[in-house]
Amino acid sequence: MSFHRISLTINGELEQADISANMTLMDLLRDTLIFTGTKNGCAAGECGACTVLFNGEPINSCLVLAVECDGTEITTVEGLGRDSQLDPIQEAIMDAGGVQCGFCTPGILISARALLDRNPNPSVSEIKAALVGNLCRCTGYLRIIESIQEAARM
Amino acid sequence: MVVSEKEAKPVGESKPRIDAREKVSGAAIFGDDIQFGNALLHARILRSPHPHARILSIDTSKAESHPGVKAVVTGDDFPGYIGLYLLDRHIFARDRARYVGDPIAGVAATSELIAEEALELIEVEYEVLEPVIDAEYGASPDSPLIHPRLEEYQVASFILPQPESNISNYFKIRKGDTDNAWEKCTAVVERKYRIPHIQHVPIEPHVAVAQVDESGEITLWGSSQSPFAQRNLIAQALGISQSDMRVIAPYVGGGFGSKAGVSMESLAVAIATKVKGRPVKLLLTREEEFFTAFVRQGLIAYFKMGCDEKGNLLAMENKFYWDAGAYTEYGVNITRASGYSSTGPYEVPNVTTDSYCVYTNHPVGGPMRGFGMPEMHAGLEQCIDELAAAISMDQVEFRRINCLKDGDTLVTGSKMHPTGLSQCLEKTAEAIGWGHKGEPSAPNKRRGKGLALMWKAPAMPPNAGSSAWVELAEDGRVTVGIGGQDLGQGVFTVAAQMAAAALGVPFEWVKVATPLDTRYSPYEWQTVASRLTWSLGNAVVNAAKDARNQILDMAAEAWQEEPENLDILNGMVVSYKSEREMPLKDIVIYGMPKPDDQGWIGGPVIGRGKFMPDYVTGLDPETGQGERAVVHYTTGAQAVELEVDLDTGQVEILRGASAFDVGKAINPDMVLAQIEGGFVQGMSSALFEALDLKDGYVQNPSFVDYRIATSSDVPGGIQAMIVEVAQDDGPWGARGVGEHSMVPTTPAIANAIYDAVGVRLEGPPFTAEKVYLKMLEEGVVK
Amino acid sequence: MNAYPKLPEFDYVRPESYQEACQFLVSHAGEARPFIGGTDLFVQMRDRLYKPKYLVDIKGLDGTDKISFDPSHGLTIGAGVNMNRVIADPDVTRHYHVLAEAAESVASYQLRSRATIVGNICNASPAGDTIGACLLMDGVLNVFGENGERQEALSTFFLGPGKTTLKTGDIVSSIAFPLPHQGTQGRYIKLGRNQLSDLSIVGVTAVGYPDTSLQSGYQFKLALASVAPIPLVVDQVGEILGREAVSEESLRHAAEAAMEACTPIDDVRGSAQYRKYMVRNLSYRALKEVWVKLIDNVN
Repeated sequence: MSFHRISLTINGELEQADISANMTLMDLLRDTLIFTGTKNGCAAGECGACTVLFNGEPINSCLVLAVECDGTEITTVEGLGRDSQLDPIQEAIMDAGGVQCGFCTPGILISARALLDRNPNPSVSEIKAALVGNLCRCTGYLRIIESIQEAARM
Repeated sequence: MVVSEKEAKPVGESKPRIDAREKVSGAAIFGDDIQFGNALLHARILRSPHPHARILSIDTSKAESHPGVKAVVTGDDFPGYIGLYLLDRHIFARDRARYVGDPIAGVAATSELIAEEALELIEVEYEVLEPVIDAEYGASPDSPLIHPRLEEYQVASFILPQPESNISNYFKIRKGDTDNAWEKCTAVVERKYRIPHIQHVPIEPHVAVAQVDESGEITLWGSSQSPFAQRNLIAQALGISQSDMRVIAPYVGGGFGSKAGVSMESLAVAIATKVKGRPVKLLLTREEEFFTAFVRQGLIAYFKMGCDEKGNLLAMENKFYWDAGAYTEYGVNITRASGYSSTGPYEVPNVTTDSYCVYTNHPVGGPMRGFGMPEMHAGLEQCIDELAAAISMDQVEFRRINCLKDGDTLVTGSKMHPTGLSQCLEKTAEAIGWGHKGEPSAPNKRRGKGLALMWKAPAMPPNAGSSAWVELAEDGRVTVGIGGQDLGQGVFTVAAQMAAAALGVPFEWVKVATPLDTRYSPYEWQTVASRLTWSLGNAVVNAAKDARNQILDMAAEAWQEEPENLDILNGMVVSYKSEREMPLKDIVIYGMPKPDDQGWIGGPVIGRGKFMPDYVTGLDPETGQGERAVVHYTTGAQAVELEVDLDTGQVEILRGASAFDVGKAINPDMVLAQIEGGFVQGMSSALFEALDLKDGYVQNPSFVDYRIATSSDVPGGIQAMIVEVAQDDGPWGARGVGEHSMVPTTPAIANAIYDAVGVRLEGPPFTAEKVYLKMLEEGVVK
Repeated sequence: MNAYPKLPEFDYVRPESYQEACQFLVSHAGEARPFIGGTDLFVQMRDRLYKPKYLVDIKGLDGTDKISFDPSHGLTIGAGVNMNRVIADPDVTRHYHVLAEAAESVASYQLRSRATIVGNICNASPAGDTIGACLLMDGVLNVFGENGERQEALSTFFLGPGKTTLKTGDIVSSIAFPLPHQGTQGRYIKLGRNQLSDLSIVGVTAVGYPDTSLQSGYQFKLALASVAPIPLVVDQVGEILGREAVSEESLRHAAEAAMEACTPIDDVRGSAQYRKYMVRNLSYRALKEVWVKLIDNVN
């Protein structure tokens, strides 16, 4: 097995790690760099709990190798918002009652942030399509969809 | 428990969740997020590849000597039985494996990879036995026995196993005279329904970390709905004292019942006992989650019901075969709960019910949201529709006539307490526009509306209790100790609301002591059964009142006044008589000086409270009749409007309407959120979900082929409505609603599909393929 | 039942040129696999279907990251261009809309950030959503191999589930589409278990364009996903809808022909019987929609 030294920017800070080829970005974030906000729900690219931004684009970090992330910019849920100010989408999802158990929430927030960045005024069907890779079992999605519409207005 | 109106706030207000900010910022710590450092060992489980087999020998020697392996255990190491209502399970299988996935051996190693390598080195010799994969067959005398020593198992007094059989519980209702009632019926409907196994699919898989210290005290961290029950059951199984074990329960990423009782947690603890000092983590993979964690048992249900020409239900005859899986230590009570609820929320004078909990070589059936009610109502509420149609009566009118009203006699002979079921029915029918049919959105679509009622009581032992403490600090602020877990349903927030209201402080002053920790948190039976708002709520109110009384007694003595003239408002002790006031922060730790300055009164204020219902009676084992079978029933209604695509059979839910009688909504917005979330989980089980079991093997143990509802599947809107008919012993009249919103969805959708295209299926999921092929069979499409 | 899927150990290699990549693949024949997005490959490796000793990352090789359109030559999509970029590309939307529509139906936004058209093709799953559009829009693969560069037509590319004509050492650098015929219309209809996402139970790609050399005045083409061992082009559809004026009857006849031509199996997603009916119903729907767009265009 090959080992690699990588450096990447996470939430604006430069990080470095020595990793094995088969380590996923999710493992790097959670186990090595202790960004535990990103969650492991299936490790197979289906549930979206591990969603982070990779050079601004949402990806399933469980299906990306850490070695592929050398030189990239990663944003996790911990990187949303600025200092102690929450991102509008974080405020909105709280206000709308779109958080229950909270396990899907980090992935949802990342997908929502990316959606609003590329489409500042999405329709309900555009929101649904953007979230289809983030499974939620508690809320039934409706309040999450509302919260994204609300954040778009902020 | 009636508290005057002025004390109600913040009860009744939609306060924001107290744990929301932590969750949205990514700071909330779940079980797999806890850092244990380099000492952490990783566990993996060797699982039976056969649904039914005798274990002839296990050779772990090669695994034990694999570098990095710190412990290998098998059933030989742990002879104790474990179980909630019936002790039929070992921590690791001993004489035989009873389902694919049954734990045979466990390994702790320095990495997951090494643990997995070690599993491959364990040699097991099996003698494959014939698997039982059908519940009716399993209940028959021809079937091989899965638990030949069933009659030796310890069992709760209200569970009735049948010796020399696979029936681990048999519950009967014999009320009135069904045999002679049929001839008085104008219409009779007889149907069979097959409800498949499904799984809870919490987005957070099960996780448990266990550590045993030098003195032998065990600490278990886990994603858990039931820290106290886990401590109790695991301690008993290991032959240790409950107080020698500590359970810490951080945030839970979805439970729905799967994280109640004991499932995989005992495996982590057992392995940890062989690795003194080091923590051992067991994290289920998603694949394991689908077939080795609790699942919702399957059901084969036979209904027969009849009514007179005016639509009055006269008789019901039900037979339930619960495909309960390899171990039914928890599932036995589903058999009972469905039995004592087997009429649905209707008054029926003549009832015969036989409810059987049947062992099969299938995954282990455990508690899942609804505890038998979704499975039962799925068929029952369709039969109600069919009976109405048989006498040409509108389905809502039929339910209006028959649904339970205050004082009606129930299936167990008990009386119905005040209930808003009729209101739920009316509000739901109106919200969905009952009686008006909308135009289909396209020529290849057909539109339909369907409605269903439901009821459910908390299914639990008659003496399940709650306790709470309330402590104040030098700043006058309050910490509430509870043993009930927030799974997302919001109990931490409503506990804070209730404490604030009962004590007299602002909501923002109240914190809840989390994470739950059996060392410091007060006892709570389990977070299940939708019982917390009511039971834990009462305990919290009692604890807050205890603290309040201590404060008022102290102030009364210090001010030489009567406590009845004093109150606590907004964190201030006030006298209505003298108009004196004193902020709490000045007195709740250091007390107050005696009137003559000759000493001090009071001291640190700490309130305690408990609640345990004292009125649940037993039920006659032959007839299922009793004075008071349950604490109460929550009732409700749900309706859907949907479209069926004639070209594909796809069912699209356009909108939903739903009303539940919660007695009192402590936090109305959270109640609405439960109603919406349960609707979607119910819809998901109705349209997509089934564990595809073939010869005892789950064919679809992954998200690829076990589909759940995504954002794209939700209706345009769900109108959720709250009805409040007070529960006499609930805090401010409250009763629970967490499970109930998932119960009527499957039959409401089934009834709407029938309204749209005139077909009914033998059971969910109502996949496009099943709907299409049924339409083809019935000539609706060619 | 594999309870513990996990990525096995491997060496990660990132060559700097096509030659280097090709040489590596050839000298480690049978042990090395090229990859770009990894969304199919990692899942398969996790499920123990593949255990390559070397993963050869071809991201960053010349031209793999480019998507370009030229009115005289058509569209070229580099092997590393992710599906979201393809969907958002204005030239794709304007000239190859059916390809964008098919790509948009794939999985989720997150997976489409990594998944690629070329990857979808090389994975050669009969369920591949974008393969039908690539076939019907006459896509051609640019391949760098042991013997240098060559083109591979898609019509002969697929040999079976997961099997293509690619040889050891081959690296697909891009897919090129000629300019479509004037007035081309297309439609991709995917039937999954959820409204969106999911693998296809049945996928229907229909394309049509005016062609005065035919009796009907229109050339129709149809490709099917998930109902045969390979992505299936149903030639009879073109014949039926070419030889006489298009009508309700001929559209239904063409749909019946598609139903006859496909050979679906029973699997966990659907039965063969259901798939046959869905091929019929959805082929009719797709062809009808293309037909309506074609005559609308004329008017």
